[in-house]
Amino acid sequence: MNIKHHPTDETLLAYAGGALSQAMELVVATHMTLCPLCRDKVAEFEACGGAMLNVNQSLSMDSDALDHVMAMIEQESANENARVTPAEMPRRVAVGGSITGSAVPSLPTPLASLLPDNILSLEDIPWRTLAPGVKHFPLKSVQTKGTVRLLKIAPGVSIPDHGHGGHEMTLLLKGSYIDDVGRFRAGDVADLADDIDHQPIADTAEDCICLIATDAPLKFNGILPKLLQPFIGM
Amino acid sequence: MNGTATNRRAPANPEQARQYADWIVAVAASRDRAAFARLFAHFGPRVKAYMFRFAGTQEMAEELAQESMMQVWRKAHLFDPQKAAASTWIFTIARNLRIDRLRQRKHIEVDDSDPTLIIDESPIADELVNQSEQAALIQAALGELPQDQRVVVELSFFEEISHSEIAERLKIPLGTVKSRLRLALGKMRGGLEGVA
Repeated sequence: MNIKHHPTDETLLAYAGGALSQAMELVVATHMTLCPLCRDKVAEFEACGGAMLNVNQSLSMDSDALDHVMAMIEQESANENARVTPAEMPRRVAVGGSITGSAVPSLPTPLASLLPDNILSLEDIPWRTLAPGVKHFPLKSVQTKGTVRLLKIAPGVSIPDHGHGGHEMTLLLKGSYIDDVGRFRAGDVADLADDIDHQPIADTAEDCICLIATDAPLKFNGILPKLLQPFIGM
Repeated sequence: MNGTATNRRAPANPEQARQYADWIVAVAASRDRAAFARLFAHFGPRVKAYMFRFAGTQEMAEELAQESMMQVWRKAHLFDPQKAAASTWIFTIARNLRIDRLRQRKHIEVDDSDPTLIIDESPIADELVNQSEQAALIQAALGELPQDQRVVVELSFFEEISHSEIAERLKIPLGTVKSRLRLALGKMRGGLEGVA
C-alpha cells in the first residue's frame, strides 16, 4: 500500500490524547492499521502523554487506597480460582459455525468491530441509494454529533460541492477519487478542516468506497443539494 | 496549571523510567506486591490528577484512579517494555478508562493481531528503540518548552477539547494554537532523532 495522504499531526495528537469523537477515532484507527508511519507517530504522541502524566500535578489518594485496591485484587483472584475459565471466544465466527470463503478478513478490525456481525467484507454491505450513483451505509453504533457512514460512489460521479460546519475525515477503502486537494487511493485519508470546500469525483473505472466521518453536518453549496440535504441527512 | 498544587517533578532520567518498567514486569512475572505498591505510590496520585481534570469531583477521580491501577495489575502481562515506556502505557490505560467510564464507549484502537495490519518492512523500522530513554528525552524536552507552547500541549492531553476550542479558551487565533502545537511537538519529537 502506497499511502500519500495522512491525518494531520493535530488530528493524530487529538487521537492520542483521547479528544476525538468516536467517529473520527474510527477513521484514524482504521487508517493506522494500514499505515505504520501514523502508528509510530501516535506512539510518540502517547509517549508525550505519558511524560505529561509523569511531570504534572498529583493529587493525594485516599489513605486506604492501596489496601482497597489490593483487597479488590484478592477478591478477584479468589473468584477466578473458584470458577472454570471459559475458553476465549473467537472474535468473529463465520455463519454456520465453520470458516467459509476467504480466511483473511478484508476489513481492518476497528471498522469490522463497528459493523453488524454478518458483514465480513466490503462485498457484504447492504448499500442504500442516496442519490444517483451514490450509495451509502450509515454506521449506527458509533457515537458522534455528526455522521459516519460508508459511501460507494460510481465511476465519474461527483459528490456535490460542499464545505464543512466542522471536521470531516474520509478514508479511501477501494478505488480512487480526485478533488481540489489531490488524488486519493486506498489507505489515503483526506483530513479536512472546517474551512475547506471540495467536490470529490470518483475518477477510475471501479466504484470508489470510502469511510467518511463528520463532526457536524456538511454544508452544500448550490440550491439543489441544499433542498436535498434534509432528506439525505448529510 | 500555575503550580499551586503539589508539583513534584519527576526527574527525566532513563534509570527511573527503566525502574518503573521493571516494576510492571515484576508484577506480571511474579505478582510482586511490593513492586505494585511502588508503582501505586508514583502513578496513583498522577492518574488521580489526570482523572480530576475530566471527572470534576475528588470521589470520581479517586475511583477512576484506583480502577486504573487495578488494570495495571490485571494487564501487566500485556506490557511490553520494548513497545512503550511505563508512563506511556499507564497513560493509555488511564485515557481508555476515562473514555470508557465518562463517555460510556470504547476508545477505538489498532488491533496488533489484525490480519490486515500493514507492517513496515524497511530495515530502519527493525531497530529497537529504547523506550525508557525515549521517555526520558521527551520528558526533558517537555520541561524546556516555553510556557505558551506547554499550555497548548497540556490542554491537548488534559482536556477533551478541539483545537478551535483551545483557541477560544486562550483567546488566540486557531492558527497560533496549531503553530505552537507544531513547534512543541517538533521539539518533543526532535530529541528522538538518532536514538535507537
